[in-house]
Amino acid sequence: MSLLVIEHLTRQFGGLAAVNDCNLTVEPGEVHALIGPNGAGKTTLINLISGVLPPTKGRIYFDGHDITHTPQHQRVRLGLARTFQITNLFKRYTVLENLELAVQARSGSSFRFWSPVKREKGLREEAEQIAELLGLTARNHTEVAQLSHGEQRQLEVGLALACQPKMLLLDEPMAGMGPEESGRMVELIAKLGQSVTILLVEHDMDAVFRLARRISVLVYGQVIASGPPEEIRAHPDVHKAYLGDDPGGKHA
Amino acid sequence: MPRNWPIPLVLLGLLLVFPPIASATGLEFYTGLVTKIMIFALAASSLNLILGYGGMVSFGHAAYFGVGAYAAAILAREGVSSAWVIWPVAMVLSGLLAFLIGAICLRTRGVYFIMITLAFAQMIYFLVVSFKQYGGEDGLRARRPDFGLFELSDTTLYYLTLAVLTAVLYALYRLVNSRFGRVLQAIRENESRAATIGYPVYQFQLAAFVIAGVLAGLAGVLMAHYTQYASPNLLAWQQSGHLMMMVILGGVGQFWGGVLGAATLLIVEEILQDLTIYWQLGVGLILLLIVLFAPMGIAGLFGRRAR
Repeated sequence: MSLLVIEHLTRQFGGLAAVNDCNLTVEPGEVHALIGPNGAGKTTLINLISGVLPPTKGRIYFDGHDITHTPQHQRVRLGLARTFQITNLFKRYTVLENLELAVQARSGSSFRFWSPVKREKGLREEAEQIAELLGLTARNHTEVAQLSHGEQRQLEVGLALACQPKMLLLDEPMAGMGPEESGRMVELIAKLGQSVTILLVEHDMDAVFRLARRISVLVYGQVIASGPPEEIRAHPDVHKAYLGDDPGGKHA
Repeated sequence: MPRNWPIPLVLLGLLLVFPPIASATGLEFYTGLVTKIMIFALAASSLNLILGYGGMVSFGHAAYFGVGAYAAAILAREGVSSAWVIWPVAMVLSGLLAFLIGAICLRTRGVYFIMITLAFAQMIYFLVVSFKQYGGEDGLRARRPDFGLFELSDTTLYYLTLAVLTAVLYALYRLVNSRFGRVLQAIRENESRAATIGYPVYQFQLAAFVIAGVLAGLAGVLMAHYTQYASPNLLAWQQSGHLMMMVILGGVGQFWGGVLGAATLLIVEEILQDLTIYWQLGVGLILLLIVLFAPMGIAGLFGRRAR
């Protein structure tokens, strides 16, 4: 059974359909890349899947549940976590405080008004483990605003990871990164991909072809092709719409 | 244990011995002033919970304060004399009102939130003023209730208020450092991310809104006991502004912000009122200076920055 199924999904902004009768499936365990030219509706699609925006039409199924109208926070509980293209962290908090918040969100009720949260060792320990996985341990007590761009991007992924998702929606994790930072992010995503299903929106084609087991191409809000990387590379419509008409790309 | 923990204890000690000293030196008047300060400290601290810790700029906090006072006065007028009835009823009513108003207002953000909280508070004001049998614009006189255990004199009211304020501040201290408090502040810092990691933002904000409403209602009850009167002024938008000024003056999102702000503003007003009829100009200037030179309020001058 597919982990994520999107059927005839449409999101209209006034007269413009940013996502237009879009169909997409993501299988459990795969790293699935979503590519497409600027303005193709990739981020809108992520916003629809994560529940930031309601769709105009269509349905979304995740892990057997119809989540089309499920509130955002409940989708996270079901195991669907996302990151943002534009870094979206608790800027005045330290790395560990950020991660602890995410760990706390999934470990028991937070409608507890009396016991000091700082005494909850479990939260701290889990946050430390995630920081280690991210390679941010040295920065544990650094305020997010003081981190480098690359480190902030790592933490962006870390916060989603701390939700212990079944599926990660990564919206351009490499945005604004230099080659070295990108390399580290590719490594991290490859490592995560072994245990979590990933839907990856990314412009960096090298990264996409290194990471993805399947690629879907979004153009004008519709998936025009979906398949393994070799197939997508060779697909004529994809070339026209996105990769350019250079047939040499086939052998790259 | 907070770093500066001895200071509140010393303050509590001073407040405990204040009334006998004041009356021995013929300054009974100040016992009343301190009672009033403590009542406003409670109301301002409740506003600080949502304004400072929750980032919800409610411009209608007078509604809960005033409804608490009116509930106490109306019950007294209707022949209910037991505080054991009056207090819970008033608090439940204020909480219920906060729930209804919050449930609607919290669907808006920014300037709209400010305006709609103000609009609701004004509706409550005009509603209450329209009840001629409860005094209308003249307000309503209210005998002090019966506690059973003790007579509610000026002095016992002072100690009662002190006890309530101490208990509430302790509870608020626990709350802002609890799981709930941490989430509330995280929502203030970055609402979108808080939702993204799985917090039902609306529920947390509404819960805080109701807690603040209940505590403001409690302050209102004490105010009605203090003046033995429920005045429409308690419900007016100026009162909301007054409470907001206290929080800003004392320190938005600083634990002692409400207390310090209420004490400073009321003392300054008291002094300036004696000196000049243009006292409001002086109050305005002081607020201006604080905003310009101490953006984290008076509390921010002492402690670490708010988190």
